[in-house]
Amino acid sequence: MQILGMRQSLWLGARASGGFFVSTFLFGLLFGAAAVSAGIGHWHALLMSTAVFSASAQFAALEFWLAPLPLITIALSVALVSARNILLGMAMTYHLDGYSLSRRLLCLAVLTDPGVVSTLRLERRADKLAYLTGYGLALLVSWLLSTAIGLAAAGRFGDLDLGALAFAGPLVMATMMMLMVRGTFRQLPSWLLSGLVAILLLESGAPDWSILLVSVFVGALLTRFREYVNARRS
Amino acid sequence: MPAEAETLAAIAVMALVVYVTRAGGYLLGLQVRHIGWLRPVLESLPGCAFMAILAPAAWQGSAVEMVALASVVAIMWWNNSVVVASLTGVGILLAGERVLAVLAG
Repeated sequence: MQILGMRQSLWLGARASGGFFVSTFLFGLLFGAAAVSAGIGHWHALLMSTAVFSASAQFAALEFWLAPLPLITIALSVALVSARNILLGMAMTYHLDGYSLSRRLLCLAVLTDPGVVSTLRLERRADKLAYLTGYGLALLVSWLLSTAIGLAAAGRFGDLDLGALAFAGPLVMATMMMLMVRGTFRQLPSWLLSGLVAILLLESGAPDWSILLVSVFVGALLTRFREYVNARRS
Repeated sequence: MPAEAETLAAIAVMALVVYVTRAGGYLLGLQVRHIGWLRPVLESLPGCAFMAILAPAAWQGSAVEMVALASVVAIMWWNNSVVVASLTGVGILLAGERVLAVLAG
């Protein structure tokens, strides 16, 4: 099978983002409306969406958007909700070869959760760095367009209970999980164990920052253990 | 309202932190990629991370949120349509509380 070139892979990634283009658009609308409520100027909100390009980080920062801005608190809060990006980046370790490190680091600016999921599941022989970048750029376009519309139409959201949409983030996680589960059951035990450990830690009153760290570590340990057992058997 | 310089500084800090998490994980992976058995472990990390975020949120979720989650999972399982699943889930979240209020009288 022929490997797709850079431009074809970029376009393939952009087209593959279709489903999450819509959910990103929804979050962008909400962010625009929330930014107006928080008193952020339109220009600053658009700059933030361009430079940061992260719904979870931007919504987390809005909670502290009062003068004087607590920069360290904002940085820690953004780091906490963005910690999963470290794991997403690690998952891409074996998939972005063939380009200079500087180009890879440039493209990682548009790394997204669904982009990583889609790249890991990609069956066509494509240039994965270009695919991941195309996916991310398409979602960036969605994010910027919807932020702008949300800013302009903030007043029209008055009747909607935006608080009810706090669970929209976990729903997006659920769609990504289902894409991964449909791709392979092989790692399902590790994923389920991570979820179980996270609930146990939550119930035991563990600090927020430790829940992700410990539960992912335990899930990864199970993956290693199962791989080890399978290797011994074969 | 925060001053212009303060706002720009906050946006710069946010952008830097998010970028460091995105690139940092990849750079960290490059340092350990020579360890042969690590690949399946690294590739299981996104699913572990999503579940570590999703499971506690679902555990604490309301009835409406559980219905929305179940709908998303069911649609993804049978239809595999992200658009339909996302719109249905969000629709249930938006309409659900009103419906429950009507039902409760």
